[in-house]
Amino acid sequence: MNEKNIFCYLMVAPALLVTALLGIYPMLASMVMSFQSYDLLAGQRDTIEWVGFENYRTILADDRFLQTISQTVIFTILAVGIVVSMGLFLAQVVNAKFRGRAVVRTLIFSPWFVPPVVASAIWMWLLQTERSPINAVLRDLGWTSGNIRFLTDPETWGPFSIPMMSVVAVRVWNGLPFVIIFLLAGLQSIPKSLYEAADMDGAGILQKFRHVTLPMLRPVLMVLLALLFMNGFGHFEMNYIMTQGGPRNLTNVLAVWSYQEGFAFFRFDNAAAASGIILAMTSVICAIYLRLQYKDDLR
Amino acid sequence: MTATAGLRRAPEIAVSAHRHIDLLTRIVILMVLALLLVFILLPLFWMLKSSFQTNFEVQAIPPVWLPENPSVEPYDLAGQLIPLWRYIANSLYVSTAAAVIAAALSAMAAYVLARFRFPGATLILALILLTQLIPSVTRIFPVYFLIQDMGLLNTFSGMIFAYVGFSIPFAVLLLRGYFQTSCPPELEEAAMMDGCTYFGAFWRVILPVSLPGIAAVTVFTFLNAWNDFLWASLLLSSGEMKTIQVGIGEFATESGVSNYQNAFMAACVISTLPALILFFFVQRWLVGGLTAGAVKT
Repeated sequence: MNEKNIFCYLMVAPALLVTALLGIYPMLASMVMSFQSYDLLAGQRDTIEWVGFENYRTILADDRFLQTISQTVIFTILAVGIVVSMGLFLAQVVNAKFRGRAVVRTLIFSPWFVPPVVASAIWMWLLQTERSPINAVLRDLGWTSGNIRFLTDPETWGPFSIPMMSVVAVRVWNGLPFVIIFLLAGLQSIPKSLYEAADMDGAGILQKFRHVTLPMLRPVLMVLLALLFMNGFGHFEMNYIMTQGGPRNLTNVLAVWSYQEGFAFFRFDNAAAASGIILAMTSVICAIYLRLQYKDDLR
Repeated sequence: MTATAGLRRAPEIAVSAHRHIDLLTRIVILMVLALLLVFILLPLFWMLKSSFQTNFEVQAIPPVWLPENPSVEPYDLAGQLIPLWRYIANSLYVSTAAAVIAAALSAMAAYVLARFRFPGATLILALILLTQLIPSVTRIFPVYFLIQDMGLLNTFSGMIFAYVGFSIPFAVLLLRGYFQTSCPPELEEAAMMDGCTYFGAFWRVILPVSLPGIAAVTVFTFLNAWNDFLWASLLLSSGEMKTIQVGIGEFATESGVSNYQNAFMAACVISTLPALILFFFVQRWLVGGLTAGAVKT
């Protein structure tokens, strides 16, 4: 081995070791755990049995769990769809030149330094049924007669419910600054000449968006969507803090379910199986992303 | 630096993109923008105004939009409600230590991964990338047991160790891009000519020039650790050791909050300040440093 290689390994070693311990090992261990019986209340950590897909069968036979899976997907699609649409619009606003831009920019980015937990706490207070300013305004306008129970209304319309929409709104609110910054970097790399050419052809603002901005943003958008979907499937904080999955399981998502199964009911085996399902879902997104990327590369 | 040049060029692009906008479109855009700004700002406004009201006024139905006699009393009360300053100090300590250590380790790894070809380099990069793709919740149980078995449960060291581990993958990816784009290889070639060792070149030549990128990554990992609730609630659960996020989170999920809503909102305001101050100082080159790294990754 030459001096250069030794130097390289020494430089990489600490980071790799820590990543192996806290990234790779836990992921594998969690997979293994999901195929074992791991009931802490019934037995000890030493008496572990292999049970094959038993844990997966158990949780998948639970209606509440199936509801949680479909809600995880709906939550993610809604949150990602809304946050990216808003982000596309606001990134262009932030990128445009107009009077007062600095102020608007600062205002748009202002939720960035609000931690997710604090964001949840503020929104819980903002959405408190009797004291919500939103309810007060809606009543003053005569649009609603009673108070909307933002976080507690158990009524459903198909898979949708008011608490679900409320939590989605908060997730969008918290995720927006990151999405805007991400898209802004993409927008700024689009050559100005493309817009000039479009101007020559007499393209309107929407046409320019469709035929110049969107195609040029495609690589950035793909990375962003893959990231958001994968994070979205594993999202925990907002759903846990604002509603703990309630009312009647309506805002429950896989990460919250897994956490409660583990640390409230001590069924680490079922919890690990739920994690396994999250992992499978993120792998699907990853595979779709790689496939699209591969197709783009071929073109 | 290329990144700042990109930022300065941007407005011209924008001008040409939106030169011919008719009045109707303009009005629609302004209305959508106004709606979105209400959505973005209302929660912040509601937190601020509640934190300056008396509890009687905060609890009034219908809600009172502006404090009649703005008072800072809720801020005094906030410190009695939960050990606010203690929690903030805990958070600051844990996040700063994790950010500095993670940045140092990542800079070392990212540098050789960006610059040299050596056996296994691609595999190492792939492994690091892989862990970045997995939501953290899928590994909470093994990490919990690992930290427990190491005897680090409810210690700051355990928490710092965990944060370092979680931030390294992303930090390595960003810094690798940064080293590739913003650090010409001629630099260390010249240094090696002058008789520097590999490490000497890295330490004396590369590190000083790449400080903006490393600083951006440090800030980023600091914010990740500062914002974290999940891991802190698992690994630091004993009273005195809690971080501010756990303190706020537990208070929010408890019942009976309403008696101290104004003080609670004051606590929320205070706990956004450190990140706000940081953001204020670094926003210019933070965005530059991050995008410079992101372009190549």
